[in-house]
Amino acid sequence: MTTQQKIASALAFLAVLLVGVPLLISATGRSDLYYTLTSVALLSIISAGVWLTFYIGRINIGQGAFALMGGYVSAILVTQYGASFWLTLPIAGLLCAAASVLIGLPILRLRGVYFAMVTLTLSEVARLTALAVPITNGAKGIVNIPLPSGLTIFGITLIPDFATLANPRLAFYVTSVLLMALCYLALYRLVNSRIGRICQSLQQNEELASSIGVNISYIRILAFAISSFLGGIGGAMFAAITQSMYPSSFGVADSINFMLNCFLGGLGYVLGPMLGTFVLYFGWDLLFQTGVFQLLIYSSILIILMLVLPNGLLSIRLARQKQS
Amino acid sequence: MPDILEISGLTKRFGGLVANNDISFTVKEREILSVIGPNGAGKSTLFKLIASFISPTAGEVRFRGQRISGLAPHKVARMGVVRTFQETTIFKTMTVRDNVIIAHHLRSRANLAGFFFGTRAAQQDEAEFARSTDEIIDFLGLGGYRHELASNLPHGHLRALGIAIGLATNPQVLLLDEPFAGMNHEETRRAIEIVRGVRERGVTVLLVEHDMPAVMNISDRIVVLNFGQKIAEGTPQEIQENPTVIEAYLGAEDEALGI
Amino acid sequence: MEQVIANGLYLGAQYALIALGLTLIFALMNVLNFAHGQMYVLGGFVTYTVYGQLGLPFPVAVLCSGVTLAAVGAIIEKFLFGPVIKRSAREESTMLLAAAIAFFLDAIILLLFGEKQRGVPKIINGVFVSDIIIMPYDRIAVGVVAAAMIAAFVLYMQYSRPGRAMRALAQDRVAAQLMGVNVDRYSMIGFALGAMLAGLVGGLLVSITGVNSGIGGPISIKAFLMVMIGGAGVVGGAIAGGFILGMMESVGLTLLRNFGDVTYLVIFVLLMIFLSIRPNGLMGKPWG
Repeated sequence: MTTQQKIASALAFLAVLLVGVPLLISATGRSDLYYTLTSVALLSIISAGVWLTFYIGRINIGQGAFALMGGYVSAILVTQYGASFWLTLPIAGLLCAAASVLIGLPILRLRGVYFAMVTLTLSEVARLTALAVPITNGAKGIVNIPLPSGLTIFGITLIPDFATLANPRLAFYVTSVLLMALCYLALYRLVNSRIGRICQSLQQNEELASSIGVNISYIRILAFAISSFLGGIGGAMFAAITQSMYPSSFGVADSINFMLNCFLGGLGYVLGPMLGTFVLYFGWDLLFQTGVFQLLIYSSILIILMLVLPNGLLSIRLARQKQS
Repeated sequence: MPDILEISGLTKRFGGLVANNDISFTVKEREILSVIGPNGAGKSTLFKLIASFISPTAGEVRFRGQRISGLAPHKVARMGVVRTFQETTIFKTMTVRDNVIIAHHLRSRANLAGFFFGTRAAQQDEAEFARSTDEIIDFLGLGGYRHELASNLPHGHLRALGIAIGLATNPQVLLLDEPFAGMNHEETRRAIEIVRGVRERGVTVLLVEHDMPAVMNISDRIVVLNFGQKIAEGTPQEIQENPTVIEAYLGAEDEALGI
Repeated sequence: MEQVIANGLYLGAQYALIALGLTLIFALMNVLNFAHGQMYVLGGFVTYTVYGQLGLPFPVAVLCSGVTLAAVGAIIEKFLFGPVIKRSAREESTMLLAAAIAFFLDAIILLLFGEKQRGVPKIINGVFVSDIIIMPYDRIAVGVVAAAMIAAFVLYMQYSRPGRAMRALAQDRVAAQLMGVNVDRYSMIGFALGAMLAGLVGGLLVSITGVNSGIGGPISIKAFLMVMIGGAGVVGGAIAGGFILGMMESVGLTLLRNFGDVTYLVIFVLLMIFLSIRPNGLMGKPWG
């Protein structure tokens, strides 16, 4: 595809999401789908971060910790300090990035299974911490978070007050889709610029990368910080939509799911985590009708998938592409 | 010729084991110097010490008078001392061309943000890297494999790719790790030509090697290690006639010294 | 203080057993068994059923837990991990499979035993009271049994034929194969043994803490912590890690009581500092 074709298809995709889907939903009256699709958009932002850490060769199962932290940062700032949600969104991302630098400095030296173990532990520790420290209000969580207020700059209303809207669900949906588009655009640009190649060089051989002058510890920290930033803003958006935040909002199982999203969608494609999130989330949702057997069927399908395609869903396509 | 590398009193211990013991020698600008020795003599350790992939227990390496021991490997590479690896160490799932392009990292003038936003400096860098990559690929005779995945390269060309990656960093000193290992006669002859060509580009070459005839053929000077100690240093002629060297080799294994 | 140490030792013995199973599986097959905690829970429910519901003697129940989990482990290795390891190109595959199995076991446990917290009648009544420590007799009994099991495991690995074969396998898979070790068979035995250990601890502990379907994940996390402290794939490391974590938890619960339950946050921060100095844990070999 040429650049123009790529831009055209990206715009077409965005148009379908922003115009086509709302039209379809208002025609069918299934407005519950807004919540589902909003969740997919936000979860795919969070998963995109995990995907980036995969891209430098690290299996990151700690993303739930950063989503949790982002959610709490925003929730606390909004409820206790009366901050505007739109201000807390970047703050949540940046604080998560800063925390990830501190955590990343020691643990990013670990590889493979070991990095996976540490990050998984991080997910659980974040939950336990949220339960324990006073500012998060323990197991009761933070509830009744007000809807995002408006954003006005120089008298121009950029974003209306969500509480005054007739359909805040639609507003959240549009916001999330735009945010997702922005994140993936940035990620696409990152991966297809020289930085992406450097990340890939790390994934393949860190010694060789440092022999050609790549500051590997810096790149690792950078990628991990970006990843955690994405986790943080995703978590903050979730807190705003559900208007609540609990220690269990993001846990170990979520962290594993983010990883599954990436793996299922394909680790070689920027859009992989988006596709994976969509498939897994809708799959899980469809299985809701099976009631108590939901988790059983879901996990059985996963196990069968791993047995049949141990190298991921898109491995078939990947192999074919390499031959051509 | 002035000295470009100065190795003095270099010692490395791993626990109780002394891998390198008080090794000193100098490398002159634009020479080809080989480090030889029987298996387990400490050649690879010495190599890692010079490229600063590990830190010495005692002693130091100076590059143009500046201490490089203890610096991070990427900093040493940035100063101009670059090592290559044995053949399996390449970016396997990238094409040959991408391998060499990425290795131009050190030459970039734009910073990472510049590359992200595609600034003019970044675009100029990319154009320059592409040009230089093609030149290096042709120089090493990899022209026919430009778009091949690196993992699919035939045996002999893998090492050429390793050298290409090293050259792309624009090094002043290139450390080659066994560039002739496992090669047949014809491949070795070509590889020797390549190493000479590298020197013609103004690069000082330091190599670790087993293949005695090739070493004797190509080196200006040779340093011999045995049991972690330097036992001899001199021209190929001097080394071939050195009784200590002959004894070390005869004592260690039945390896021909190329005499 | 003595009380804290006694609690730490008691906890440490349980933890060490859990970590031993995890590290054994890891050493043999390079698989991080996410489902380890679920195996523990399953063991707990088997003992709950056999001892609490059917009324058979406690030792029989714990034995049933061990046997059940050994069977489950063998099946999982034979039909799931074995084939996937042979065909997969990246180490993520086994990790995802392990995660899927953890979900699967969670689902099974939930369906069979529900989500209620379950307990069983005390195995021994009474409390040991002296000037320095107070400890219920059942805890002492469980602690001693766990310590004995650790000793038995170490002796088995050290001196029995399968134990030696498994150690050879853990050290160098290819070399062991060349020496005539049946790799497939001992991978299965090792996995079964690891799962059995998880089941045994689950069975033992149900008499003290009870069991519920939700604790599988947190147990796995604790096992990972221990393995990281001690070093992965090393028997001594798992034992050391288990006792260290048990001790830290015991000390933390006492010292940090006034600050809310931040023991695990503190442990994690300490672990990160520790790993930046010794990335391979106390006794682990270099890897990566």
